[in-house]
Amino acid sequence: MAKWFCDANAGDDVVISTRIRLARNLKGIPFPGAMTQKDALLVIEKVEHALEEMNYTFTRLDMSKTSPAQKQKLVEERLISPAFAKSTLPCAAYISEDECISIMVNEEDHIRIQCIYAGYESKKAYELISKVDDYFAEKLDYAMHEKYGYLTSCLTNVGTGMRISYMVHLPSIVMTGASDSIFSTVGKMGVTVRGMYGEGTKSSGNIFQISNQTTLGRSEVEIADSLNETLEKVIEKERELRTKLSQKQGAILEDRIFRSLAILKSARVISGKETLERISDVRLGVGIGLIDGVEYSKLNNIMIISSPAHIAFDYGEEDPSSRDIKRAQIIRDALN
Amino acid sequence: MVCSHCGIKDANVHYKQIQGGKITELHLCTECAKELGYIKENESLFNFGSILGDFLSAPGKVSANASSYRCPVCSTTLDKVSRTGFLGCDRCYEIFAPTVEKMLSKIQPSTNHKGKLSGADGKRIERDNTVRDLKEELKRAIIDENYEQAAVLRDKIREYESKGDEQNG
Repeated sequence: MAKWFCDANAGDDVVISTRIRLARNLKGIPFPGAMTQKDALLVIEKVEHALEEMNYTFTRLDMSKTSPAQKQKLVEERLISPAFAKSTLPCAAYISEDECISIMVNEEDHIRIQCIYAGYESKKAYELISKVDDYFAEKLDYAMHEKYGYLTSCLTNVGTGMRISYMVHLPSIVMTGASDSIFSTVGKMGVTVRGMYGEGTKSSGNIFQISNQTTLGRSEVEIADSLNETLEKVIEKERELRTKLSQKQGAILEDRIFRSLAILKSARVISGKETLERISDVRLGVGIGLIDGVEYSKLNNIMIISSPAHIAFDYGEEDPSSRDIKRAQIIRDALN
Repeated sequence: MVCSHCGIKDANVHYKQIQGGKITELHLCTECAKELGYIKENESLFNFGSILGDFLSAPGKVSANASSYRCPVCSTTLDKVSRTGFLGCDRCYEIFAPTVEKMLSKIQPSTNHKGKLSGADGKRIERDNTVRDLKEELKRAIIDENYEQAAVLRDKIREYESKGDEQNG
């Protein structure tokens, strides 16, 4: 089955993906930050048992038996978090066949359910994640509170335990130098803007994550509506600046976009950083109608399969310089 | 009130500490108060002079006790909670209730959950919360003399409450 980032039907000129995660904990067992190895194994056992009867096929990954490269590969596919990949507790990840659902056990909370789709799909993602959550609630004893709702390790997640993150491509906002003022305005509306892989990471290739800041006091629908309202303003601004940029720069912008496409199609050695920058140009080119025949799903796919851990894991290329050669070949094969 | 340390016995030692504008409240049973060093072994519970004496002569000692005040389930300290915003288990939410409420009011738009709660427990809490919110609305409607709206709300409340009775019965 196609992975989320290969979905050819899903395409958006600004929103690359929609990810929703729910944080849940079990009653009476210390949270991962305070738990013993024994507690951690007990949580895994309970989740495993609950999943047995679920009408969904999951691949189970015991994190203690998963290599660092494979873990990093899952981080690159956004199926697990960077913090989870580094955890020293007994941890397990469950990934659905289509990779739309992933469940991390013993991340910051006992259970982190995640649903990811390509494009702007918050409704579809919420419907699916809510089903998985309801199913778990029937089988497991969730820690909840009359006043605070779902209880979580960190007070920033209490209540709904829900974080919606949109991965967005904002080249024109960055190129026109408007990012600082836009992000600061957005920040005042209860929305967080972060780097590509979430908390504490930098932006590469003009890609950002836009997510809700707060989780308590508003319903899931209210949180989504207010985040979407802000997101749509950002999308509108990006599109408006794209038009302005192409009017103002004309041939210069066109040249930059087609050079980037040519480099991706012909390079023999290319770094990960340059790949993201060139993909950003090509994605912009597709968005403003300059490039035909390159789908967003193809660009999403290249972005992920050319990431360092993918090359290391899939081709055994551990050395960065030989990885750069392999990367150029993977991209040529995908685009030509 | 139940002792916030052991969660079993009645609290009969009530301790309030004000340090640097920060108020910490503890409600403990005699045994836990002794264990945590708020009253001495063999000391009468009503020997306030002695407690006050300790407080006045050695404030450092008392504050160290308060900050190292622990959750009986996961051993997370009050100090850690107020420093990091991280709790160790679901019981911490009860044990450190005043601190949790204060911190949440700073970082979240409201400290009352609104939204879905799954499972049987969740459905019950969800219904109770809906009734609570509807009653608030009803109060406002009556104050505003909006009786039409009040009647609609009253019927809704009855409907929710009868659903609850059916499920409980």
